[in-house]
Amino acid sequence: MNDKNREVIVLALEKINEFCNGNLDAEEIYEEFSSSNKSSNEKLLNILKILSNNQINQHEILQEAMMSLEKTTPQQCLLKFLRRIDKNMGSHNYQFSTPNSNSTRIYDFSTPEILENLKEKIHAVASTSICRSQQNCSISNQLNISNPLTPSSSPSLFSFQKNRRKDAAQWFNLDIKEVDTQINIVAVPISTQEMILLNDIIFSLLGIRGTYIIPEEIKTSIGILEISFKVSDQIQKSLRDVTHEILPLGCYYYNIQNFIENVRFINCGQVLESLTATLRDLLHDYCLLISQLEFQHISGMLTVHKLHFYLRPTIKTMETLHKVINDITANSLTGGQILTLLYDKVNYLSGDEQTQKFITELLKRASLPYMNILYLWITKGIIDDPQNEFLIEDNEIKSRDETPENYSTDYWEKRYTPRRERIPRFLEKCSDVILRTGKYLNVIRQCGKKIDSGNLDRFHLFCPTSQMYMNIILEAYEFASKILLDVVLKENDLMGHLISIKKYLLLYQGDFITQLMDACEEELIKNVDTILPVKLENLLGLTLRLSSAKNDPYKDNLHCDILPVNLVTQMGKITHKLDECWSPENKIELTGIECFILKFDVKWPVSLVLNQFAISKYQMLFRQLFYCKHVERQLCIIWKENTTAKKFSPHTANLYRGAFTLSQRMMNAIQNLEYYMMIEVIEPFWHDFITKIKNKIENVDAVLIAHSNFLDNCLRNCFISDAVLLLGVTQLCQICLKFCEFLQKSQRLFVDAEMKSMLRDSIDENSDSDMDLSKQDESSLTPSDTFSEQVKKFNSNFSNLLVGFLKQINDAANENPNDRYINLVHRINFNNFYNH
Amino acid sequence: MPSEIITLQLGQCGNQIGFEFWKRLCLEHGISSSGVLEDFAADGLDRKDVFFYQADDDHYIPRAVLLDLEPRVIHTIMSSPYAKLYNPENIYLSKHGGGAGNNWASGYSQGDKLQEEIFDIIDREADGSDSLEGFVLCHSIAGGTGSGMGSYIMERLSDRFPKKLIQTYSVFPNQDEISDVVVQPYNSMLTLKRLTTCADSVVVLDNTALNRIAADRLHLENPSFTQINTLVSTIMSVSTTTLRYPSYMNNNLIGLIAPLIPTPQLHFLMTGYTPLTTDNDQTVNVRRTTVLDVMRRLLQPKNMMVSTGHDKSNHHCYISILNIIQGEVDPSQVHKSLQRIRERKLAQFIPWGPTSIQVALSRSSPYVQSNHRVSGLMLANHTSICSLFERALTQYDKLKKRGAFLDQFKREDMFKDDLSELDESRNVVDCLVQEYEAATKSNYLQWSASRGETE
Repeated sequence: MNDKNREVIVLALEKINEFCNGNLDAEEIYEEFSSSNKSSNEKLLNILKILSNNQINQHEILQEAMMSLEKTTPQQCLLKFLRRIDKNMGSHNYQFSTPNSNSTRIYDFSTPEILENLKEKIHAVASTSICRSQQNCSISNQLNISNPLTPSSSPSLFSFQKNRRKDAAQWFNLDIKEVDTQINIVAVPISTQEMILLNDIIFSLLGIRGTYIIPEEIKTSIGILEISFKVSDQIQKSLRDVTHEILPLGCYYYNIQNFIENVRFINCGQVLESLTATLRDLLHDYCLLISQLEFQHISGMLTVHKLHFYLRPTIKTMETLHKVINDITANSLTGGQILTLLYDKVNYLSGDEQTQKFITELLKRASLPYMNILYLWITKGIIDDPQNEFLIEDNEIKSRDETPENYSTDYWEKRYTPRRERIPRFLEKCSDVILRTGKYLNVIRQCGKKIDSGNLDRFHLFCPTSQMYMNIILEAYEFASKILLDVVLKENDLMGHLISIKKYLLLYQGDFITQLMDACEEELIKNVDTILPVKLENLLGLTLRLSSAKNDPYKDNLHCDILPVNLVTQMGKITHKLDECWSPENKIELTGIECFILKFDVKWPVSLVLNQFAISKYQMLFRQLFYCKHVERQLCIIWKENTTAKKFSPHTANLYRGAFTLSQRMMNAIQNLEYYMMIEVIEPFWHDFITKIKNKIENVDAVLIAHSNFLDNCLRNCFISDAVLLLGVTQLCQICLKFCEFLQKSQRLFVDAEMKSMLRDSIDENSDSDMDLSKQDESSLTPSDTFSEQVKKFNSNFSNLLVGFLKQINDAANENPNDRYINLVHRINFNNFYNH
Repeated sequence: MPSEIITLQLGQCGNQIGFEFWKRLCLEHGISSSGVLEDFAADGLDRKDVFFYQADDDHYIPRAVLLDLEPRVIHTIMSSPYAKLYNPENIYLSKHGGGAGNNWASGYSQGDKLQEEIFDIIDREADGSDSLEGFVLCHSIAGGTGSGMGSYIMERLSDRFPKKLIQTYSVFPNQDEISDVVVQPYNSMLTLKRLTTCADSVVVLDNTALNRIAADRLHLENPSFTQINTLVSTIMSVSTTTLRYPSYMNNNLIGLIAPLIPTPQLHFLMTGYTPLTTDNDQTVNVRRTTVLDVMRRLLQPKNMMVSTGHDKSNHHCYISILNIIQGEVDPSQVHKSLQRIRERKLAQFIPWGPTSIQVALSRSSPYVQSNHRVSGLMLANHTSICSLFERALTQYDKLKKRGAFLDQFKREDMFKDDLSELDESRNVVDCLVQEYEAATKSNYLQWSASRGETE
């Protein structure tokens, strides 16, 4: 370690010592660190601890120091420590350059001829000895040290650089107010003046303070330090004007250099890293250009005008770059935003071909890591995004075992989410496609299939500047969606599952439902609290094995359950219209019929489509259909019992005709309602849905959409989504059930009465006592209300309900002409019976 | 297996149409004449168990009971390829073998004598089914066995199985030809009483209309029994198709017939079928069959299997209609067709209650090819059916006035003392006619039958 280095370190130590209020001697510390061996680590750490007092993240710094003490020599540890502190304190960074192997030069000299020319001249100059300027710092030296390609890990270079950077803290020596060696050059002849001026310009362009061109720091409106140059008045005016045109380049150089130094490499993002690396390459080329110009100058072949001419294209490019960088700094852009900025710039610069080409190249290289992540995602479904720059985020929190119920829904909806603010502009249009591509691939992988996408080798085509990237994304998307669709539809038989669901939850397999009701009805008409779900489950299992369902491969997926509320309350809760029309009824009154549901379990990946939401919608439909079916069955039972009236004397049958025809009207309404829901709503929508899936579906998302459309259409048209209409249906069903109950009770009585009367008829031939008889049996029915009065009451209640319901449907149909509501009105009122 | 149906075939006519019916079912379900399931039908999505059960060796046996008092028809069946299909224990042939001599009273009293043996068979069949839904009776109302013994069995069935349905397919005699059975009016009247009071639903198969259809629509010069019975078997099989190929609705018998029958007495149903063709008739132009075409044709009297005569006052109306439509049908077409029928007022309905054309869309057998896209069966409850009963009343009155042929009735126990059973039957049928007439009016609900004049 040389002396110069030592001075610097001691100087830094002193500064830090001041900062941390430690009473340590800088020289001593230095000696300690350079002489100590590993055994005294603890002592050294203590020193460092004192030194790092008052630092923001002292703990972290110490941790790092400890690590490096163990791994390297104390001296290197100290250096590291200082660098860290230095960075922490906000002064200029020591330069770390990321290794940039094999990167190509992208900085263009204006034309190849000029380049060739320059090379020759440089050779010529190098062979002859030329007087050097009186400046103590040679340009070639400067050039050398700013070369980022040189590995920065060697300590000697580092110290050297550090030295320079130390100077760069006051880069242009801005704080030196007085220029000591300024010579009055007004008197000098103009050609000599130009030579001197050229010297100064070249220095300024490389960030060295000149004699006649003095840099001044100014703060721009956006809070960035910039440099402007003041050219001595002594310079002749025409030269000065040209000089002023060249000098902004110096500002740009300073600015870019500054930017590179200022980038914090921890968590700044791969895009920014890549961008700065590219910028570093650019600056290298820039320095090369300037040094070539210097050689030309030294060989006396350069004039200010020539210099301006040579530099003109560079100025333009650097200006653009400068603006870009200002934008990034001012808005603290990262990742995708930077790419958006560059992409916009490329489009904006469509008139300036050269600069556009330049920015395009910059975009291409800056986007490299981003595109890498993207490519991995769309071909493998993997997110390799350590710094959270990618437009898709993986939210894997839960494992599948924890919440099997909602896993599939959540997986599809929430596992991968797009982050809008991270999407680069050129991917905005296809961000959805990108999201789905990877998602599909992940699902495919979770199904235990290998993904063999054959286009892994096409990454070289994959950059935002060629139109190919779009094609590659689309191809990857098509590939993934086709495979997943195959996996779901063919390998895992989605259609089979759907058909099974239709059979059971939509009552398509009518005979099974009949059999299930035969088996379970006794249990289901009980109060919901007294029902044993296990018993129902057993009955269901038995029915499945004995009925026509026994050949169904998915019959074991079917289970049943009892919900604590009826459909009206359930839907009321969902639509929040509960209070308007329905007060939550007493649970005590609920029967099993109203609360019974079938469950259908599905496995991954079919559960992506038949997810919890979809199944609950099926269950809502099931409850409605099942309840209607139950009412129909009760009415059929009543009908069968009524047929005993055939044996009654034909002369008294009119007493009961009112009751019979009322139950028939109920049957008519309920059957039409069922027919409407099943044949006119569910079946056509189902048909549409299946045709869609079989013919033109392209991806699983489209399946999901078609499926949920199907269900929503059914729910709406079966009056389930509308609280008022649903209530209408339920009330109709309830009055039917009540009437059935009433008839069943009274039936026993009037059958007895009729049979007796017929007996008496045959005995007493001239009996003309129909009226007596009717009085007799009616009075025996109910003490307060006669049978026919009761029937009359039911009759008018039912008519009012039905007519009201039809009117509501009519209104709803007028509001929603696309729905099929009106079909039901046509059916129930086919012979215009309810018109009056 | 739910909703099983036991078929009882009685007498010459009943066994003949039953035979054709089972032939047809076997064809539709891919069951061979010996009851073995054909290979092509192995994947069946149909329900065979409503009408068949399986023996230990898995071959299918019809839930059928064959009863007759004379051996001719049953012998024909037993010498046909289908002999092995039936359970031999279910075939009951009276040992005395003399038949009922076309006498209702004889059939009835023989039924009484043989009831133990007969009900052994029926009880065994009923016990063998998990949840028996009902009985289907095939018979004619004019002869001796089908009408007489049929009446007896109906009465017993409704006592013994009050919760089970009794549906009959009853063949009414041909009015266009002079019958060789002179007591046919008496037989009909006595049977009609039981059909009214014991059966839950009667599908009327009018030989008059069947013969006319065979002659006019199928262009058969002298239609054979077999040809007529093919028509009948088509009707019987299609009317049970929703039970055998279940879907959303109408998958049990009660759900099928209950909506058709608003009050217990009005349970006589007519049928219609389109398109009508025969097996050997390939030349008939295949017509366009859309749902609307089919539904419209079903409303035309010429396609009805009941000949009701001309309704001069044009007051008769439909009490209810059920169309069973088979084939490629888009449900939305059904609705459009119904709307068209409604707008054009193609059907006249009762004024005292809501009613409509119910449509049951049914799958059909994949093993029976049809060259029609859509076919339809109508089951209708129409008030004009009473003209058949009126006709029977007139013929009965004619005969009774003369007191003709009553001797052979008086020989039986039932009529030993008096002929009040005949009068009572007439009374019941008369009330039935009155009720059907009343059902055409809007005050039907308040209507009450007036006493028939007993002579």
